[in-house]
Amino acid sequence: MPVDPVFAADLANDLSAVDYVRLLHLFRQDVTQLSEAISRAAAAADEAGFRRAAHGLAGAAGAVGAQELEAACRTVMAPGHINEELAASAERIAALAAATLADIATALDRAAGR
Amino acid sequence: MSEEAPGRVLIIEDQQAQAELARLFIAGLGYEARIASSAAQAHDVALEWRPDGILLDIELPDYNGLELLSRLRAAGVDAVVVVVTASASMELAKQAIRAGAEDYVVKPYNRDRLGVTLRNALEKRTLSRTRRALESALDDTKTRLEAAKAQLGSTGYADFVGSSPKMRAVYDTLQGVAASKASVFITGESGTGKELAAEALHKMSPRARRTFVPLNCGAIPRDLLESEVFGHIKGAFTGATTDRVGAAKLSDGGTLFLDEIGEMPLEMQVKLLRFVQTGTFSPVGSSKLEKVDVRFVCATNRDPLLEIEAGRFREDLYYRLYVVPLELPPLRDRSEDVLLLARHFLAQFGQEERKAFTGFSPEAELMLLAYPWPGNVRQLQNVVRNIVVLNSGPVVEAGMIPAPVNRAGATPPARLAPPVPAPAPEPAPVAKLAPAPVPVQEPPAPHGVIVPAPEPEPAPAPAATLRVDPEQEILPLAEMERRMVLAALMRTGNDIPRAASLLEVNPSTIYRKMLQWRKDGLIPAETRR
Repeated sequence: MPVDPVFAADLANDLSAVDYVRLLHLFRQDVTQLSEAISRAAAAADEAGFRRAAHGLAGAAGAVGAQELEAACRTVMAPGHINEELAASAERIAALAAATLADIATALDRAAGR
Repeated sequence: MSEEAPGRVLIIEDQQAQAELARLFIAGLGYEARIASSAAQAHDVALEWRPDGILLDIELPDYNGLELLSRLRAAGVDAVVVVVTASASMELAKQAIRAGAEDYVVKPYNRDRLGVTLRNALEKRTLSRTRRALESALDDTKTRLEAAKAQLGSTGYADFVGSSPKMRAVYDTLQGVAASKASVFITGESGTGKELAAEALHKMSPRARRTFVPLNCGAIPRDLLESEVFGHIKGAFTGATTDRVGAAKLSDGGTLFLDEIGEMPLEMQVKLLRFVQTGTFSPVGSSKLEKVDVRFVCATNRDPLLEIEAGRFREDLYYRLYVVPLELPPLRDRSEDVLLLARHFLAQFGQEERKAFTGFSPEAELMLLAYPWPGNVRQLQNVVRNIVVLNSGPVVEAGMIPAPVNRAGATPPARLAPPVPAPAPEPAPVAKLAPAPVPVQEPPAPHGVIVPAPEPEPAPAPAATLRVDPEQEILPLAEMERRMVLAALMRTGNDIPRAASLLEVNPSTIYRKMLQWRKDGLIPAETRR
């Protein structure tokens, strides 16, 4: 499951409804921008840019309990990735980001209905 | 009930969602929160806003959190720091703890976890501040106790030995100025204890836990002095194979003692002046300014004003450093401390040399007292060490006293004040002048038993109202002087300093005269103070 349901429930509990929704929106915006940045860096073989974006995405994913996405980002942050691996990693991250965004959308719908 | 937040927390986090989450949690816990998204921004906010706590992400876009932490500490930011880390960078979190962070929290965290970590860290900070305040109060109490001890007639102060009025004045100054950061300018002849005074100032100051760095400006070659004071970087000059930290940096937070400052070359004085004025300096070969917090204590055995007049010492530097003057008296001006010091050194060196010395014989004491000690305490120290090394004790006899001290009684020392007047050849003019009302005593008994004076001490009368008794027995002036001295001794219970005070002479004058009278058989050998 892209987003840890226990963590997500904790988060919803710890924050007011307004703050929770604001955070999810912020996260959705971050994930979209950062996964695009990762793809661009991989295409340009920009290893430093790739790592920087992966670091940002890992942080954002950690904030909402998107553990798989966070773990994938941290794995690729280590220096020394060759170009082919960058491209493959970017694809994997993009897929996980998409699944996470879907979970977030569900969470937002649920929040809107509660 | 106050509406004020329980504390300020600065969140240093470049990732927007993570920063916002932390802000929401922290605000929910009742703290006031601000976010900085780069190390440079965090540095500025921390200096300006002075947070109580900092939530620090290690990986930042400009430079890493460890370096930021070190820069914040160097800039005096004492907020507690909680490092936020992903499990992958736990090693970095541990490094941060070693660098001064209080704790760390691993992502992802919930509000309770963050709250507990933050509260614990802030509580530690409060406890640490309370401890520092208590320590400071304790230090103050200790300082006051020291002062009280000194005033209660102890025979010394800090590492000084001596209870003469001149030394008490020195102790008072040391006591008064120790806690301040004011520069102290010590003057005094060689061997009077200038470095001891500087060290005492440091030990009694709030800087005592930091370093005391003594630097003898007269003992360092001119070319090396700048490097000794400010340090140098590798390659600054031939032979500078590594970076070297100088006295200025070493004494950061402590005290820099510049001994023989009068020997410092003028070009170096300009650099020192800038350092004293700004607290900043550049190591030789470096253009980078370093800032330190140093207390300056300087010393010279020259007259600084004469040095300024002669163009050897910069006037502007002098006025920067000459904030609190401290003059250490020569030993000849505090002769009442000679025996205290001699006994102190005898005990110290006897212990070091494992020799059982118990004290000085009366003759030996008189020799020590009659000598003017041009080399001051250091000379006395050396003489006593010489005695201890070459002899076995238990009592230091006159024969053990080395030259030139053992010749002290033979000729009146030129530097002793006041000079003893020569006996008048004829008695008549004495009677014609207006002499003081001399209570003539019976001559000493054959075995030196001094008969106590029956009359109370006469109050000194102004010269204009002196009464002259023409029938008074006329004696040689030297004899009258001897009788006066012995009378003063009887009246004061053989307390030489008090007798000297009554006679308005230096105590050493009495000691010297007694030594001579004893040699001449005019008073018995056993008569002593």
